[in-house]
Amino acid sequence: MALWKLNPLTERKLKRFQSIKRGYWSFILLVVTLFISLFGELVVNDQALVVRYKGNWYFPALADTYPMKWIYIPKVPRTGKFFGMEKDGDGQPYSYPVNYRGLQDKWNEGNAEGWLVMPVIPHDPYKPNFSEGVGKLAAPSREHKHYLGTDDAGRDIAARLFYGFRIVMLFALGFTFMVFIIGSALGCLMGYFGGLTDLFGLRVVEIWANIPFLYMVMIMVSVLPSKVGMMTRVLMLLAIMVVFSWTSMTYYMRASTYKEKARDYVSAAILLGAGPFRIVFCHLLPNTVSTLVTFLPFTVAAAISSVTALDFLNFGLPEGTPSWGHQLRLGQEYIREKPWIIGSALTAIFLVLTMVTFIGEAVREAFDPKKFSTYE
Amino acid sequence: MKKKTNQVGTLMLILSMALIFWGCGKPKDNNSSKTGGGSGKPKATASMEVGPVELASVEEVKDFYEASPMFFSIKKTEDIPENLKWEDGLGEPVFSSPDAKQGGTMNQHTGDWPRTLRFVGPDASGSFRRHILDNNAFALVHEHPETDGYIPAIAKRWAVGDDKKTVFFELDPNARYSDGEPVQVTDFFFHFYFMRSKHIKAPWYNDYYDDKKFLNISLYNTRVLSITYYKAKPDVITKAAIRPVPEHHYEELDEDFLKDYQWEFEPTAGPYEVKKENINDGVSITLTRVVDWWADKKKFYKNRFNPEKIRVTVVREPAKVFELFRKGELDWHGLSLPEYWYDKLPNDALEVENGYIHKVQFYNDIPRPTWALRINCSKPLLDNQDIRQGLHYSMNWDLVNKEIFQGDFERMQTVADGYGGRSNPKVKAREFSIERAGAAFAKAGFTKRGGDGILQNETGKRLSFTITTGYKRFSSLLTVLQQEAKKAGVELNIEMLELTAGWKKTNEKQHEISFGGLNNSVELYPRFFEPYHSYNAYVEEGDKLYNTDGSLREGVTPKPDTNNSTLTADRELDKRIQQYRDAEGLEEITELSHDLIQRLHDHASFIPGWAKPWYRVGYWRWVKWPEGFNVRQSRDMEEFHLHWIDTDAKAQTQEAKKSGKKFEKTVKVYDQYRK
Repeated sequence: MALWKLNPLTERKLKRFQSIKRGYWSFILLVVTLFISLFGELVVNDQALVVRYKGNWYFPALADTYPMKWIYIPKVPRTGKFFGMEKDGDGQPYSYPVNYRGLQDKWNEGNAEGWLVMPVIPHDPYKPNFSEGVGKLAAPSREHKHYLGTDDAGRDIAARLFYGFRIVMLFALGFTFMVFIIGSALGCLMGYFGGLTDLFGLRVVEIWANIPFLYMVMIMVSVLPSKVGMMTRVLMLLAIMVVFSWTSMTYYMRASTYKEKARDYVSAAILLGAGPFRIVFCHLLPNTVSTLVTFLPFTVAAAISSVTALDFLNFGLPEGTPSWGHQLRLGQEYIREKPWIIGSALTAIFLVLTMVTFIGEAVREAFDPKKFSTYE
Repeated sequence: MKKKTNQVGTLMLILSMALIFWGCGKPKDNNSSKTGGGSGKPKATASMEVGPVELASVEEVKDFYEASPMFFSIKKTEDIPENLKWEDGLGEPVFSSPDAKQGGTMNQHTGDWPRTLRFVGPDASGSFRRHILDNNAFALVHEHPETDGYIPAIAKRWAVGDDKKTVFFELDPNARYSDGEPVQVTDFFFHFYFMRSKHIKAPWYNDYYDDKKFLNISLYNTRVLSITYYKAKPDVITKAAIRPVPEHHYEELDEDFLKDYQWEFEPTAGPYEVKKENINDGVSITLTRVVDWWADKKKFYKNRFNPEKIRVTVVREPAKVFELFRKGELDWHGLSLPEYWYDKLPNDALEVENGYIHKVQFYNDIPRPTWALRINCSKPLLDNQDIRQGLHYSMNWDLVNKEIFQGDFERMQTVADGYGGRSNPKVKAREFSIERAGAAFAKAGFTKRGGDGILQNETGKRLSFTITTGYKRFSSLLTVLQQEAKKAGVELNIEMLELTAGWKKTNEKQHEISFGGLNNSVELYPRFFEPYHSYNAYVEEGDKLYNTDGSLREGVTPKPDTNNSTLTADRELDKRIQQYRDAEGLEEITELSHDLIQRLHDHASFIPGWAKPWYRVGYWRWVKWPEGFNVRQSRDMEEFHLHWIDTDAKAQTQEAKKSGKKFEKTVKVYDQYRK
């Protein structure tokens, strides 16, 4: 609980952060966007939000949203036949899940047996929609609600960028969290125990840090056994990246711990009989948190760039996953003929990285010890 | 310029076979300069007199011949059978253009500096090989590229013996190498010495030319020889028509072969040679036409191989290659990829609009690389024929072609398209149909759709399969198949691996469904043993593999590293494939081939994908072509060397580029061979 009880110093830091407008607003914007994207199936989806048909209500998009997706699995598919359409546009029997955009068009044409509301971007990031006359690599069109055009498999680019954002952010946050846990725990321990632990620990860290991260990731990803599934591949990519990136945090945490260890409250805790782990995790860690916090946004930014770069080079997320790196690669291939593809991907990356950097600068400024040092 | 490799995924075995068959089976012509000297001028020696053969080989080579007396035989003229029906192929139609003009320089590029000028051994099968070997070397006879007949090359006459395995050849007395030395019958003895030598470090050649496939070579006199193949096959002439290896050039081989001959161009009987002075290290290699080439005036070689020089420049960056082509520094560029044909050089591009660059699409007629889905019949559910047939109906290849390939390609229909009469025209690939797929799956007990629209059986088992592939560039195509299959109630997961990892998984028979393409060489009749016989599917054979009722036994072991990636094993099929292998007459082969294609269609382990029945090229207007552009069996524009350079037109075009003068815009489709 000690962490949550804001002392006046922390309050002042937060106020200072709040007063740095561009950082503060970037933070709000990013958090809100991330929150929305967590329930993104309600915003970008080819499933209708609400369907009213023959006196019944249906909420297909809701059922598609996490965590509903895990809890509720519909027993019967809402096929075209369910909504009274015997054949699809190609004359095939409509015994598969209905295309709600098509259904909406049909009902809008008149003779409406019901009505429905589609999400803002009515497209799925995985599905091409050739049946509506939109080809691959189509230019942005308001008519078909492909606001950023389609990719090389005819999938909506806006939808893919949106879900790409969710994936890359979750990936970056997960990465940052794990790097911090490992890096700060080891750094604190080295700093606290000092002596041989520090000497040897630091040498190991130095050696480990010199292994080239990018090459290692490429090598490891290419030798992943072919049997592993896609989700496992993503988690393994995360694990590999963490394993080769945690080292940089240890230096800073080790130094701050050294500094804090000399403070009186640590001696007091020792006198009170606290063990080393209690002292490290309950006393030292909360007091060195300002070091951690200043690095946080920059680590997130680095993670976003890394995973995008790896994707671009084809060593990142599995093919087919909505990803900014894949989008960039596609854009680069068609840079002359279809510049909007690379344009939208670059803009998305640029905006997010800029916001994260603004936040980082603001945090650094707010937590600057020179401004609020309380040395007595 | 040839985009041969573009659409070809290759298992090593098939690729090497394809290359070598091609290289040995139907080369065109070939020439070279003498070691060190480079004098391309033929010596003014009189034609060889006909007489008994005397071996002038060095001791080591003689010993080699003597060690296999059953294989290397020296006979007498009287030993030539009397009743032979000699053929000279002169009745075959001419396929070059009478308008062709000699001269000029053809400017081409290669992606990388060739690592050697050797024809065999390590690094010899690079992309430069087609210039010096595949499109240039001369064998005993060549296949006619339009008909099923043969045309004379080094041999002016040939005859098949009574056993249907032995082919007799009579050398053309004029045939000589680029260094002026005449081609001798003993050079064919030497061919076997050379190809079987360990020093060439080419195990495939060592194996192919061993005494299991070739039973005998006999020299009757200084003009006539015979070669005996191990089996009487309708294309036995192709198999026996090897190329001479100039004994006077090598004399014998030792462990320094690779080093000594790395940059030595083997004298060739073909039209172009590489002279020492024309190798500009790391920059370009220029092939020059052999002076007074011996076959210049022959019926099938007149008006071919027209450019005086072929300059092959190294340009590594594809984007730069294309820019050089647009500037006119390269004479042509392949446009088979849709992005080149439609986006990078559209019909309204300035050079096309002004008629400087012509665009051509040419439909050829050759065995197609098999781009397909291969179903592993040893996996659960996939061992059920109904499910496999249902999967056929669940794949929307038409949509893939329309949307991903912009309608450029055609559906592949059977397991063996493009083999002329041996292909079965009655068998058509199954088209996408939710109804038929549903009916087939229902037979296997999958009748109910789950909440996600995927079919389930009574026990709740879902129809879900994984497609394994290493072809990242085709991921968009697989996405389309995946989404369309959902409509039919099938879930497809796509496992996208690195190229080699993808093939490895398929080779280890770990896949459920594998996506990829295998190259096929131009052959008279398709192969069924390698991809569909149980010998290549399972380790067990005979009764250990099959129960008495013909079904597969439990717990049999898939055999890795074979081309039977569908794990097709069917006793009846095995029997017919064996019959097919033993068959010797073309009629019987055709009949069995049709039957097998139909049976494999019913077996449904191979879902045919697409075929590219043409190639496309953009070329500057000074490159001229015969009326029909090219021949039926050409894989690319260059293979048969039918084009020529119109130097006047070149000057005129370069002038016009400055003045802005326009010529007739030419974007043509030649579809005379379209099926």
